[in-house]
Amino acid sequence: MEQALNQVSWFDLLPPPIQTVLSEQLMDTSGLEEIRLRVGQPIECVSHESSRLLGGREPKGLYLFNRTDANHLLNQLSRYSVYAYEEEIRQGFLTIAGGHRVGLSGKARIVDGQVQTLQDISSFNIRIAKHVELDTSKLYPYLYNQRWMQTVIVGSPGSGKTTLLRELARMASTGSNSLNISPKRTVIVDERSELAASIDGVPSFDLGRRIDVLDRCPKAEGMMMMIRSMNPDVLVVDEIGRAEDAEALNEATMAGVSVFCSVHGSSFSDVKKRPVMRSLFNDKVFDRILFLSTPRNRRQVSIYDHSQQLGVISI
Amino acid sequence: MNWFGASIVLVATTWAGWEWSNRLKQRPQQIRQLKTFLQALEAEVTFGLTPIDEACDKLAAQCDPPLSTFISDFSNRLKQGGYQAERAWEEALNELWTRTSLKKSEKEILTQFGQTLGVYGRTEQKKQIMLALTHLEREEAEARDELKRFEKLFRSLGLLTGLLLVLLLI
Repeated sequence: MEQALNQVSWFDLLPPPIQTVLSEQLMDTSGLEEIRLRVGQPIECVSHESSRLLGGREPKGLYLFNRTDANHLLNQLSRYSVYAYEEEIRQGFLTIAGGHRVGLSGKARIVDGQVQTLQDISSFNIRIAKHVELDTSKLYPYLYNQRWMQTVIVGSPGSGKTTLLRELARMASTGSNSLNISPKRTVIVDERSELAASIDGVPSFDLGRRIDVLDRCPKAEGMMMMIRSMNPDVLVVDEIGRAEDAEALNEATMAGVSVFCSVHGSSFSDVKKRPVMRSLFNDKVFDRILFLSTPRNRRQVSIYDHSQQLGVISI
Repeated sequence: MNWFGASIVLVATTWAGWEWSNRLKQRPQQIRQLKTFLQALEAEVTFGLTPIDEACDKLAAQCDPPLSTFISDFSNRLKQGGYQAERAWEEALNELWTRTSLKKSEKEILTQFGQTLGVYGRTEQKKQIMLALTHLEREEAEARDELKRFEKLFRSLGLLTGLLLVLLLI
């Protein structure tokens, strides 16, 4: 869907010269995925398959992003308050209204061998959040039977794990009359701020009415905190992989909480190579394993339980 | 007629003397208010991690004019967007300077502080606030000293200058 440039939330944050260049030369924002700004370099617009430097063919005509622009942008992103966003800057990205994320790079300052903060920020990567419509209605009968089952989503990067996870979270917190699914208290532990894209602790995606989000908290610790404090029915986490994640996951399932999580991997054997995941599968922690794939540009989910395939649907 | 003119001169110079001594009196008070503002800002920055515009809105409500006008003026300029924080601060400061008894040295301290606003992490920002506070403390001591020494002097100087003028002119 095409959207006028001045209506998107990230446009206002850009320095005026960049705004001018973009509005003159960027006709179509539909496929736009990233806008990359680097000090001393022209603006790069990245869409699904191509990348282009704005400014036409003549190198002379290219506008170069400069230090003043960088300072302006950082000022706008941090609302003139770098101290308030120190932790976000240390982690290397800020989330802005609309769920867009801005990745940062510059000079890391190390104190006691740990990155304390980034200084002289010179590269910005505005990653534009797209809303992907998924038709997940056919999926729910496999995942819900009186209660939500322990579900893991497996897929390679870009296959839509996070989007699907977000969709499941919304479904769990909203419920559905027609599918006879009652709404549940749903908690998201959002370590990378990707699932809910919270701003000031409030999710910027519509995730239903019964959602609580713990933003930017390490997963394992966050899961334990939430189980103790928020009494969730459903717990949603992204990208598990470390030993302590598995431990927390075990703890959660033992406490009677339904867990939705995702993990990187292109196949079953791929995932099972990791000792943490292998032990989780061996212990039969998960009732449902969803494999995401994109044959011929169509999103497809294969649903498994411990032993066999239960079905394949496209979403 | 002579007497009428003389009384006008007397009233004018006496009033000027009072005004001067009033300014002397207001200066340490206003420095004190500034210090209170900076201390509150420090708490917002280090403990609240409140963005600067929000923090200023909060603090403007706790201060008296003309300081409160300055603070909300600054935050309004920031909210307009497109500004450098430093420039917004400076412009608001210039506005304030038409309405205050503060002196140039205080303005310099504040201008320098404005340049650090919002561009540092938490610890550095705190240090900058502390630095501005130390400078202001020195100015406050000086202003109090001046007040003690010159308050009565200025007041009587006004009246006496008036008398002198009257005597010379008659």
